[in-house]
Amino acid sequence: MWDGVLSNEVMSECGFYVHVPFCETKCGYCDFYSVPLMDRPTSPLVARLVTDIEGRAGEYSGDIVTMFIGGGTPTVLPISDFRALFSALGDVAGTHKPREFSVEANPATLDEVKMEILASAGVDRISMGGQSWHPSELETLERLHSPSDIAPGVALARRFGIGRINLDLIFGIPGQTLETWAESLRKTIDLGVDHIACYGLTYEAGTRLTSQLRAGVLTPCDENLEADMFELAVEMLRGDGYAQYEISNFARPGQACLHNLIYWRNDMYIGAGPSAAGYVDGVRYKNVSDVGRYVQMIDSVGHAVLQKERVTGAALAGETLMMQLRLNEGIALGLFASRTGIDLQQVCGSRLEMLRGRGLVDVLEDVVRLTDAGRLVADSIISDLYADVHAAEALSDRS
Amino acid sequence: MIDRGFIRNFSIIAHIDHGKSTLADRLLEHSGAITKREMRDQFLDDMDLEREMGITIKANRATIQHKYNGQAYMLNLLDTPGHVDFHYEVSRAMAACEGVLLLVDAAQGVQAHTVANAYIAVEANCEIILVINKIDLPAAHPEEVALEVEQVLGLAAEDAVFTSAKTGEGIDELLDAVCARIPAPIGEINAPLRALIYDAKTDIHRGIINHVRLKDGVVKRGDKIRTMAVGSEHIVTEVGKFTPKPVAVPQLSAGEVGYLLAGIKTLVDVNIGDTITLATHPASEPLSGYEAPNQMVFCDFYPGPGTQTPDLREAMEKLWLNDSSFTYEPVTSDALGIGFRCGFLGLLHMKIIQERLERESDVNVVQTAPTVTYEIGLNDGTFIHIQSPSEMPDMSSVQEIREPFCRANVIVPSHFVGAVLSLSLDRRGIHKKTEYLSPTRVMLSFEFPLGEIIYDFYDKLKSCTKGYGTVDYELIDFRGGDLVKLDILVNAMAVDALSVIVHRDKAVTRGRRLIIRLKKEISRHQFEIPLQAAIGAKVIARETIKAFRKNVTAKCYGGDISRKRKLLEKQKEGKKRMKQVGNVEIPQGAFMSILEPDD
Repeated sequence: MWDGVLSNEVMSECGFYVHVPFCETKCGYCDFYSVPLMDRPTSPLVARLVTDIEGRAGEYSGDIVTMFIGGGTPTVLPISDFRALFSALGDVAGTHKPREFSVEANPATLDEVKMEILASAGVDRISMGGQSWHPSELETLERLHSPSDIAPGVALARRFGIGRINLDLIFGIPGQTLETWAESLRKTIDLGVDHIACYGLTYEAGTRLTSQLRAGVLTPCDENLEADMFELAVEMLRGDGYAQYEISNFARPGQACLHNLIYWRNDMYIGAGPSAAGYVDGVRYKNVSDVGRYVQMIDSVGHAVLQKERVTGAALAGETLMMQLRLNEGIALGLFASRTGIDLQQVCGSRLEMLRGRGLVDVLEDVVRLTDAGRLVADSIISDLYADVHAAEALSDRS
Repeated sequence: MIDRGFIRNFSIIAHIDHGKSTLADRLLEHSGAITKREMRDQFLDDMDLEREMGITIKANRATIQHKYNGQAYMLNLLDTPGHVDFHYEVSRAMAACEGVLLLVDAAQGVQAHTVANAYIAVEANCEIILVINKIDLPAAHPEEVALEVEQVLGLAAEDAVFTSAKTGEGIDELLDAVCARIPAPIGEINAPLRALIYDAKTDIHRGIINHVRLKDGVVKRGDKIRTMAVGSEHIVTEVGKFTPKPVAVPQLSAGEVGYLLAGIKTLVDVNIGDTITLATHPASEPLSGYEAPNQMVFCDFYPGPGTQTPDLREAMEKLWLNDSSFTYEPVTSDALGIGFRCGFLGLLHMKIIQERLERESDVNVVQTAPTVTYEIGLNDGTFIHIQSPSEMPDMSSVQEIREPFCRANVIVPSHFVGAVLSLSLDRRGIHKKTEYLSPTRVMLSFEFPLGEIIYDFYDKLKSCTKGYGTVDYELIDFRGGDLVKLDILVNAMAVDALSVIVHRDKAVTRGRRLIIRLKKEISRHQFEIPLQAAIGAKVIARETIKAFRKNVTAKCYGGDISRKRKLLEKQKEGKKRMKQVGNVEIPQGAFMSILEPDD
């Protein structure tokens, strides 16, 4: 089912992620690192970001095969900074010729000048936060755009030759119904975009939405309704030729997001910008999540890495299974074992057998993958298998 | 050396909170046994837990000097526990005394343990001095309380001594009364040595410290002694007295109380209640001992989070060396793994042992519901005793189940009689007698199935009498009853550690309550989990934990997976605190929560 979605090449090369930490205002549900723009000057940060990008791209000897510029909202940058940033990124793209170059955008912040800059830098994919087609739902989410911005945004991108477009949608919004959700899905499908991501609203610590929930001013979506919404999305999107290839991600054939696949397959990626994470040659690192300190660190030490960790053994196996099991392609056991040194059949064979018996996973030849029913409870399955992998390591340490 | 005629051995007995420890402090201070500077409040309660809970658990001791009629007396005070569970320790101390101070709160009057403790003293042939304490309280009515005691126990009210341990009033008179009224120890200084071991403590540097009361003879350093019951022989390395600090003396002689060291390493080699004699010149008869500990309440301890079975075993061994009044033996549960079945003197004792284990050895304990011993009559006419519902044989071989009964005295202000009677009825109590202690206070006597009152009776009594009711009980016999084993099934599997034995009439209520509690404790799973309470194959109550429909985070993590991993790590740690029963994860807390009293 998902096979046609993916390119046939094995992705063992490197992705490149750049984090632009500015937004016009911060949305109530968002827990990514970003600061409201207000009248803040962005050029000091962009100058360091360019240094970081050039440094990271320059020190990497292999091929950068995907680029993804996210945030924040990269498109809120004032035009001169926007131009400076994409000029540097265009250089990297020119050197490495990535197969995919994505930028996140808010439909309301796109204009012709910026689109022109993106197109000439080599951007070939835009990921837009549509979220909902209902003003009241967008209001609950504290989004600044309105439903009427979505279609023009898509049209604008197409006009500049950027044909690969993703729209994000959110379900499980307080007040949302199965009908309004179906309508958002339908309108999105009708735009003819080749990629749709359906995210369930999550209440992250420290967000305004979570404090509203705690204060009791917000009634969260009922679990059954949320499950119905999720199933409806799978059904509708499949019917219209979008195959699910990850729990939240649906694409027309060949249009899966190659950059995100790198994350889910637990492959390599470079990270640049405040709070960006990277995973190169077995080492995870994370940059400082603060614009001021980021600027300081780039100036004084040439990078902004705050944490570094070499991931091996059960930790590597745990991470790999937690990411790969989210993909419909599942886990190839042989590859998994050769990469992590852990034979999943051996350490969680009985658990897998039990899950298979309940129709939650399929074990076919060398591949373990979740079924539709399994995807609905993926967190609990991953949690159990993750614990099994670590328990097996603890046991072998003791003996 | 002081003449035996001027030695007095006594202890203080009282209902909890009637001021026993404060009185002991005052006696020590008054006689100069310890200085003000050394005085911490309640000097004799030297175990942290005792101090925290405000009760005395282990019997303590001290020697006090007092001058009476121009003569120096040596008064040996043996402190005793104040709680009903510790009958056994009380009786130990009494076996080493000729007299007791029966302490009664001048405001509260006679309470259940006042009566129970007085009976132990009478049985031990101890002279009783009635002390009405807390006379400084505004609500004190000492004369009426003295009359109340006369009414219940037949002790002459006119002989009562009135004191305030708090202000020191009456303490001199009390010490005089001890000298005048408590008999001097009898015993032959020239007879062969007979010393009662009434307590023993472990000291990591010095081995076992035996607390002894000499009845006959003399013992000194270098003597070769023999324990008459165990039959082991040791050389005495030191004898001494408690002042209350231990101080070595050249010898202990008949009538005296003190300690004895003899290079004994562990409590296994000492039998408390045993008689020590001289190996070279042994006595022919041992002293009559004391009441042996009688474990009435049983539960299982299993290793909790972060604790392994060997750690728990080591902790229990260590504690047992200090308090041999509980028992433990290995037991295996399908649900909880390898642990220990333990016997306790009562519910408080159980709680104290559990807390001391966790505190003194840094282990975590998962405890099952307390139960009593049941006597099971089998078809072949034989009887077995079981200390856990899981030991119940196949019901087809069981003729009858007998449960332990106890006699209980409840003392309450008279207007709570109705409330107590209805509580007792609910607990299958048989009302035997109503006795007026005074126009406003009543002692109600009942017979109860022990299993009905070990659990939460005390709390219930307190709440239905606004804190005024007190109860004391003693075991009397085993009686047949319509008892059934109630099993709890989680996802169709019986969880052995949750089974209970209950009266048939109460099975439905109890079963329903257990599964409702369990439902709150167990998280939803990927599948539906039926919870059932059953008697044999017959299900009497059922609840269902619904499967979760959706348990997936449909979110884009981007490249930063650290938070997701942290969450999985946390869940992984959480799973360690789960017990896997079939496919269901039961939090260890569930086994504890069923112990909590009803709302």
